[in-house]
Amino acid sequence: MSDFILSETGNVLSQLLEGKFICRISNEQAFEFLQTPENRDKIDYQLRVLNRCLTSGCDGEIYYCSYQDLGGAEHKVLSEQFGDIASSLLPLVEWLVLVQESIGGDTPLSAGNHIRLNELQTAIEDTPAFREQLTKISQYRLFGSNSSQVDGQLKQVFKRLVEQGYLIRPNSEKQIYIACAKIDYLFEIIRFIDETEDLSLEQRASDSFGQENLL
Amino acid sequence: MNPNLHRSGKRFLNLLARNSDLLMNAYLSGSVDEDNKDNKQVKDLLASHAIWRPAVDEDLQLGLALRKLLEEALSDEHNQQVDANIGSRLASLRTKAEHYREAVHEGDLASADAYLQDLSLVTYDLNQSLKQSVRVLWSRINNEFGYVASLKAKIRENELAQQQLNELLQSLELLNFETLSKIAGDLRELRRLLCSNLHQVVVDVSQELAVVQTKLISLLGRFRQLRGRSRLLKGFTLYCEQHPDFHPSDPSGQLQVPSLFKQAAPLLKSASVNLYNPEHEQQLLGIVAKIHVQRVNGTQIQEQEENFTSLEQAELYEIHDSGISADVERYLNEIIDSAQDLSALDFFEREQLKWRAEDWLYQVIGGYNALSDEGKQFFALEAIEEAHPEFSGNKYIRDLRLWLR
Repeated sequence: MSDFILSETGNVLSQLLEGKFICRISNEQAFEFLQTPENRDKIDYQLRVLNRCLTSGCDGEIYYCSYQDLGGAEHKVLSEQFGDIASSLLPLVEWLVLVQESIGGDTPLSAGNHIRLNELQTAIEDTPAFREQLTKISQYRLFGSNSSQVDGQLKQVFKRLVEQGYLIRPNSEKQIYIACAKIDYLFEIIRFIDETEDLSLEQRASDSFGQENLL
Repeated sequence: MNPNLHRSGKRFLNLLARNSDLLMNAYLSGSVDEDNKDNKQVKDLLASHAIWRPAVDEDLQLGLALRKLLEEALSDEHNQQVDANIGSRLASLRTKAEHYREAVHEGDLASADAYLQDLSLVTYDLNQSLKQSVRVLWSRINNEFGYVASLKAKIRENELAQQQLNELLQSLELLNFETLSKIAGDLRELRRLLCSNLHQVVVDVSQELAVVQTKLISLLGRFRQLRGRSRLLKGFTLYCEQHPDFHPSDPSGQLQVPSLFKQAAPLLKSASVNLYNPEHEQQLLGIVAKIHVQRVNGTQIQEQEENFTSLEQAELYEIHDSGISADVERYLNEIIDSAQDLSALDFFEREQLKWRAEDWLYQVIGGYNALSDEGKQFFALEAIEEAHPEFSGNKYIRDLRLWLR
């Protein structure tokens, strides 16, 4: 085998240019590298050549590569990208709600949380409502499952989520997944939409909770 | 030392040991089950205040002191509370110090000794209780208030802990160096006890409490954030239910696009192997060799098994043979009749043939090759291929297309 090893700068650069999100969970080494201001400057300097820059989000928990200046072509890419995000929001949100409700508890999934697929599967199989919900979610275009079994649907959904960078699967022989900070990024997007569209989502949720209590 | 005290203490501890079942049940369930208990034992326990009856018609309860002892010994966080009542301890400290000072002044060394012992007990107790409070708070932070399930309960518990911590900090202010040195006066023993020992503990504990406070606040922030997120998710699904055709407006057209939505399109694709680089040849050969080993293990046995079955079932195949070749003929006729190209699998599905799809494709190829040269000139055969997902360069025949030239 070759003893040529990509330098950490090269590694981080290529990850960023592949459109990946770097967080402590998805790539700890690269994330640590980006904690030093000099390293960040170095990466930023190199990205500028390509009209890109290093951007951090979620209070510095996540790094990604964004455009430096926006021309017509860039606007077009961003617009398409936003279309993708907007269409995948509902599937992702429904999936998050399903995970939260089926594992039990009232805390939504956040970066660093573990999901054991077996536990989730048992919980979903035991409750018809969750099964229905999973079938609905897995058939969204984002996940694209044609399976009618809980097992197949779950595996497809999780496979897609790993591909999209929301989860990682540290050991390919075990069905244990860890949520990456891209989940936090997703929440920021929802919050942004909530604020700009003036949806007052939190108010809506607590109102409905109040009504349930009254009933 | 009073020998009677020692003896009765031992008797009391033995009493507790004899009734350990009853006491632990009471600790866990909240009240003593009186129905099947020896009346004498219960009376003894009542007399020693290990258990007590709050009111005439109520159940027997575990004594407060015993409950506290158990909580501490079992590190049971569920019930442990932070004891913020330092004021009363300080008062007793002051009183005992006065006693001691008086005894020293009057030259009553025996009493002075006894008072000093009392004082060191009280200070030790105070030290313990302060450290214990900090420990309790830390353990709550460390398991993120895991002993209550819901997020709301966690938030309430956190607020309670902050309140207790504030009380603790306020009462620690009472225990400042000035107060302590005033109590100690010029007596050496008292100064050692109060000014160096206790003061050190107070300083340590206050510093630690400050750290605990910031942790508690950040944890509360996190709980609130999680609650906010949970509501955000719920609200979003509700909103989408009510507005099924909701499309958020695209911020990418704005002059100032928020950085959230400025992620650049990927530039790099993952690299592939360069087959033409002679430097890599050796390494590639090594990789290929490894793949080969794995394949031999996996598939050779299977292949052998398949060969056996085909030998055993040779006759059966012959019987099928006449049927399947007839179907191939029908397929060819169909193409001649329609004068249009038709995929072998399409025909196979339409006619719902009983063969295995793979056998069918082989037979079509075989049928085509078996045609005379003249016959072959009429037909064109094209294999629709699919690349192997793992081993590049290998292709599968997925389907066949046949048409009239």
